[in-house]
Amino acid sequence: MMRLRLVSAAILLVGLGNFTQAAAADGKRLFLENCAACHRPNGVGVVGAFPALANSKVVQGDAKVPITRVLNGRGGMPAFQGELNDAEIATVLTYVRSAWGNKAKPVISQQVAALRTGGKRENAKASLQAH
Amino acid sequence: MDFAGARGVSRRSFLEGLSSVGGSALLMAGMSALGFGIASAQTTPPNLSGGGGKKVVVLGAGVAGMTAAYELSKGGYEVTILEARSFAGGRCQTARKGFKLTELGGETQECDFDDGLYINHGPWRIPYHHQSTLHYTKEFNIPLEVFVNDNDHSFVMYDNGKGPLAGKPVRKGQIAADVRGGAAEILAKSVKQGALDKAMTADDREQLIAYLVHEGYLTNDLAYLGTEGRGYDIEPGPGVNPGPGKLTTPYAFTDVLNSGAWRTLASVSAYEQQKTMFQPVGGMDRIAKGFEGAVGHLIRYSTQVKTLKQNDKGVEVSFVDGDGKAGTLKADYCICTIPLSVLRQMDIQASKAFKEAIGGVSYALVGKIGLQMKRRFWEEDHHIYGGHVYFDDPEILTMTLPSTGFQGKKGVLLGYYQFGAQAAKVSALSPLERQALAGRAGDKVFEGYSSNIETSFSAAWHRIEHNLGGWAQWSDEGRASAYPVLCEPDGRLYLAGEHLSYLTGWQAGGIESAWQQIAKLHARVHAA
Repeated sequence: MMRLRLVSAAILLVGLGNFTQAAAADGKRLFLENCAACHRPNGVGVVGAFPALANSKVVQGDAKVPITRVLNGRGGMPAFQGELNDAEIATVLTYVRSAWGNKAKPVISQQVAALRTGGKRENAKASLQAH
Repeated sequence: MDFAGARGVSRRSFLEGLSSVGGSALLMAGMSALGFGIASAQTTPPNLSGGGGKKVVVLGAGVAGMTAAYELSKGGYEVTILEARSFAGGRCQTARKGFKLTELGGETQECDFDDGLYINHGPWRIPYHHQSTLHYTKEFNIPLEVFVNDNDHSFVMYDNGKGPLAGKPVRKGQIAADVRGGAAEILAKSVKQGALDKAMTADDREQLIAYLVHEGYLTNDLAYLGTEGRGYDIEPGPGVNPGPGKLTTPYAFTDVLNSGAWRTLASVSAYEQQKTMFQPVGGMDRIAKGFEGAVGHLIRYSTQVKTLKQNDKGVEVSFVDGDGKAGTLKADYCICTIPLSVLRQMDIQASKAFKEAIGGVSYALVGKIGLQMKRRFWEEDHHIYGGHVYFDDPEILTMTLPSTGFQGKKGVLLGYYQFGAQAAKVSALSPLERQALAGRAGDKVFEGYSSNIETSFSAAWHRIEHNLGGWAQWSDEGRASAYPVLCEPDGRLYLAGEHLSYLTGWQAGGIESAWQQIAKLHARVHAA
């Protein structure tokens, strides 16, 4: 809970346009925790398996696309809609869109909220066990 | 509920009635529902005969691919399987001494468990109703043993609960006894005091109270004071000491409620988790070996598919073999069992709608770790033989004690089984860091847990090449739009695998999907 509050506080502090170092640190931490195992800590991905995020047109393009991808998953990528809240997704995407030479506008949690469909995914937290 | 309408009607006359109103289909359904045991289409493979030497290339020597190859070749088809790995089985793997795994972006692990010890880091259990999987374990003479999927004496660990029971291991059976006893007492007393007088007849109230007394082990004055089923502080035995022993004292109902540990209980297990559950003796990969014994001669190992082309005459697959040499293979049809997470990145010739559908599913992130323990302290110190320790830490969720090798010297247990974002997090750790994480969690449940760990083997399926995920996770939307597209052939390309079933993540899903697709292919060949 503490962690979520910190992130929300960071979002409040930075407002809509400014991306501060505090939020950048949170974004990096969220990235390392949730994304780096596949996309690698430096965002270069693994050829043939996990797309590079550094220098990626998709990452730096219309924010709707990366937001939707994080929310709903695609191909080998899981859906994070049940795992990360709107502020966390905005924070991590803002980091990804500004790290490793990427230059794209920050993402705010309202953008994430607007695209959250609330669709139910099979097996998601349905029970303690699966398979 | 009122079943009076069915009273006095014999099964036979009831069935005749069904037949007269609904024809034979309704009759068949009725017979199945009444337990006459007409097998569903999924319990046995389709009978294919007269394949006439048509050529089929199967992509992937997992359970689905080998099922397709086995049944098609029995039916007279000429089958070749292309397999990227140097071994057959797909996700049906068992890690034992010498088994190697290099996750993408990770270091190479070589399993160094003692001889005879193993972990099923992929599929690990077979419910009794997966008759398709059981069809092949029988066909290939694979001995089964019971997988202990429920153990009243095992622990539940709710760190995030409230009250005095939170954060400490409690016996599942004691939680069950106390929460059911407590709930039964309250309900029984309420009924007795007239709370439901308007809702129920006097007869029903009496029967309900009788049921609650039975369910909750209540006393005559409707109190729950514990039950011998929740166990003894001093076990009963011979003579006068220990003699009758000393019963345990129930937890306070409020403490049980606040602990949250009751979340591991339900009156009936989810269908996929029901007993009886099995595992092959010696490891799940016995199933892979069983298939391999039958179709191994059809498999080209270490052969990576690069492209798939097709026209109205046939298919052509290009590949690179184990020596790095490029080649092509032509066939009349292709059955592709490559996971969609991998297939979406390959160069295949298919309609735009089909390709879009392939991208329309996400795959589960899944992590498991096997820990070799110096001694079987869960058996020796806690008398727990198999079963799960449920732990509400999302990075752990389940610790599972082995259902094999009881009373042996050592054992390998499952240290965690986590999903989603937690699986992503844990998979970013090195194998040794994962072991340490599992050890820290285990120490909360069992004293001396981490100091008993000798070695470990972990797998993060989303980082495993050729799989890139544990299993397909369809959204409701994907089920409605993409899934039906992929269940039908695109030209001469048929997909099969657990991802094209409603048994995703189970071997039965792969087998039954393969059965369905080869039956379609066979019907087409015969119609031509």
